[in-house]
Amino acid sequence: MSAIETINLRNWFLEVKVTKATSSIKLMIHRFGIIPAMIVTLLVVMVAGTAIGAVYVPFFDTLRIILKNIGLLPNSTFIEGQEPIIFLVRFPRVLVAALAGTALAASGTVMQGMFRNPMADPGLLGISSGAGLGAVLVIKLGLAAVSIFFMPLFAFAGAFLAIFIVYMLSYRKGKVPVLTLILSGIAISTFLGALTNIVLTLSYDYQVKEFLFWSTGGLDGRRWEHVQLVFLPIIISVALMFVFSRDLNVLLMGEEEAKSVGLNAGRTRTILLILISIATASAVCVSGAISFVGLIVPHIMRLIVGPNHKILLPTSAIGGAIFLVVCDLISRVVVIPFELGVGIITALLGAPYFLYLLLRSKKEGGMVL
Amino acid sequence: MNTDNIIEIHNLSFEINDNKILKNISLSVKTGEFVGLIGPNGAGKTTLLKCINGINKTDGEIKVKDRSIQELSDKNLATEVSLMHQNTAISFPFPAIEIVLMGRYPYLKRLQRESKEDYSIAKKNMEYTDTSKLENCPITEMSGGERQRVLFAKTLTQETEVILLDEPTASLDITYQEQIFKYSKERSSQGITIIAAIHDLKIAARYCTRLVLMNEGEIVADGSPEEVLTSENLSRVYGINALVYRNRITDLLDIYIHKHNSQKKSEKIHVLGGGGSASGVLRQLYEQGYNISAGVFSHGDSDIGSAEVFGIEHLVEKPFSEISDQRNNENIAFIKNSDMVILCNMPFGNQNLRNLEAARYAKKLVIIEDDSPETRDFTEGKAVEIYNQLKKSAVAVINSAQLHEVL
Repeated sequence: MSAIETINLRNWFLEVKVTKATSSIKLMIHRFGIIPAMIVTLLVVMVAGTAIGAVYVPFFDTLRIILKNIGLLPNSTFIEGQEPIIFLVRFPRVLVAALAGTALAASGTVMQGMFRNPMADPGLLGISSGAGLGAVLVIKLGLAAVSIFFMPLFAFAGAFLAIFIVYMLSYRKGKVPVLTLILSGIAISTFLGALTNIVLTLSYDYQVKEFLFWSTGGLDGRRWEHVQLVFLPIIISVALMFVFSRDLNVLLMGEEEAKSVGLNAGRTRTILLILISIATASAVCVSGAISFVGLIVPHIMRLIVGPNHKILLPTSAIGGAIFLVVCDLISRVVVIPFELGVGIITALLGAPYFLYLLLRSKKEGGMVL
Repeated sequence: MNTDNIIEIHNLSFEINDNKILKNISLSVKTGEFVGLIGPNGAGKTTLLKCINGINKTDGEIKVKDRSIQELSDKNLATEVSLMHQNTAISFPFPAIEIVLMGRYPYLKRLQRESKEDYSIAKKNMEYTDTSKLENCPITEMSGGERQRVLFAKTLTQETEVILLDEPTASLDITYQEQIFKYSKERSSQGITIIAAIHDLKIAARYCTRLVLMNEGEIVADGSPEEVLTSENLSRVYGINALVYRNRITDLLDIYIHKHNSQKKSEKIHVLGGGGSASGVLRQLYEQGYNISAGVFSHGDSDIGSAEVFGIEHLVEKPFSEISDQRNNENIAFIKNSDMVILCNMPFGNQNLRNLEAARYAKKLVIIEDDSPETRDFTEGKAVEIYNQLKKSAVAVINSAQLHEVL
């Protein structure tokens, strides 16, 4: 059997598996409703993510510790030392992972929809590189030691500055052409990346290592302060994205088609871009540059629930949270006692999937899905 | 202002990068009219439709129901005017019903869900366009015809009084081509105003109550199909030689387009025909630019139609009568005056026998013989006798496919 035949055969197997998997999942959704099912999954994964680690705490003990500390289960006592590990160290970290995953996946879904491009991802608009520049400045100036808030705030400021420049560069006579926007995004990303590298070149080794750890997306050391910092911006911006579900569906038909049914594409895109920027910048500032979440989660969800944003957007948001909590868990346990950046895990899982999509779209001679 | 007019366009100009696409367009459309916008590629048809729909922002005045479209919000305009685009590429697998329901977008508030009524309007229009079966079929898996009908259902679901169609059938099989026009015609008879950019002039002539011919951003003709589709207008705008005539078989306007032949030939040719035998010959001679005459045809003969379309001088005899002395003399005069005479593959009866006899006067006779003369003789041998004599003097006896070799 020739090499090409082998590849074809393997593709065929993959197709069959995917179709089978999708159809059985579809049946499940039909019976139970996907959103409640996914919320339950998310809660289970979050408790598991909190329970598993260097010190193992049984699942139900973990659950009870969390419930006790949020005031739902008073009068319980636990083995000494478990409570702070669970509630002050692991649980906030898992919450940050869930929030970041939600923000990135929801933003990715919205971007793919509004640009009608399945390869769009929040990193495309310079958001990640802007945040990166902010982060490297904090490290270079030694501000991280002064307050844990400097890092997120600088990252946030950098992300916003980047998208602001990209947007202004693309804005012409009340319109923001998609192609100009994406190309400006790439240019600004590259430019900010170069600035970051200049700062790194002038930095000490330990600073470079610190930045490397941030840039691969690290969630270690995330505390309740981080949760407080991004909870509201992420929850509010993602909730507002849901409000635009129908508009996103109409935008998928194209700008002129949208206008024909009374949707102002330019204005809607601007609002959505602001929401994406808030959500993504919030996520990046507490979790570092985590790649591929915004790209693959919407794709997987689209395979399962279809392109309708009314269902796709909420499921992607929850799916992103599940995905990142699981990736974070893997990053902590895969090479104990070391910890990998969660961005490494998402990329290791994401890149092959991305290539699979690419090959599939090549075979079908068009856009994926 | 005339309140019958649902659309009033006044001095509309539109340019892209200093390139004037529309120049001073003024157009009024009455309620219930079915207007066809015709004209060559780049004439500005699509651009004009997009202006009426508010996609193209212009300085000129466009009024729908006496209100300027600039004053209307996007959603309000979308409840008055809908536009079915030429090529809507949808690469996401939405089921047809979802696509059709998008037509309800202008009626829904942000967090409002589609009501039962919205669904029933959508389903009614899917039934109307025969797409009910496709309700749950992803749009990406449909044929071109199915997709256009679904998109048409979506346009109808918008429930507007004005519907704009941009080449709705450009890429469809003939099976589906006319369907959307039939639906549109039905709607227009119910009082919906339709403006459609149409490529196919015959379809435009058949379905539209009014045609607007555009060229290089201007309206060059406006009126009933008969008034607008003239050989002169088409030749001027499309740069082709076009003949417009009423097809006797279908009784519809038909268009015959041929290669432009600028140099007229001085050679005179007379064609003896009848019973439909001369039509193809006349067309070929016309295309070559000969100076042609024809006769003698019996009243009602389809060859007369051809001669009229091509503007050929021809002789006609009264119905069911033998060729009179007068017509015969005229016929002989034509023959004597011509450099060549072509005798077509026609049937012979006592009524037209004199055509055959007149052929003797030809300087150069070409006989077209597709079927043997015996099968065409209804004079009990008289015609065949003359025919065989003529054959001896003829410079060529050919079948009709060989005609170009003689010319």
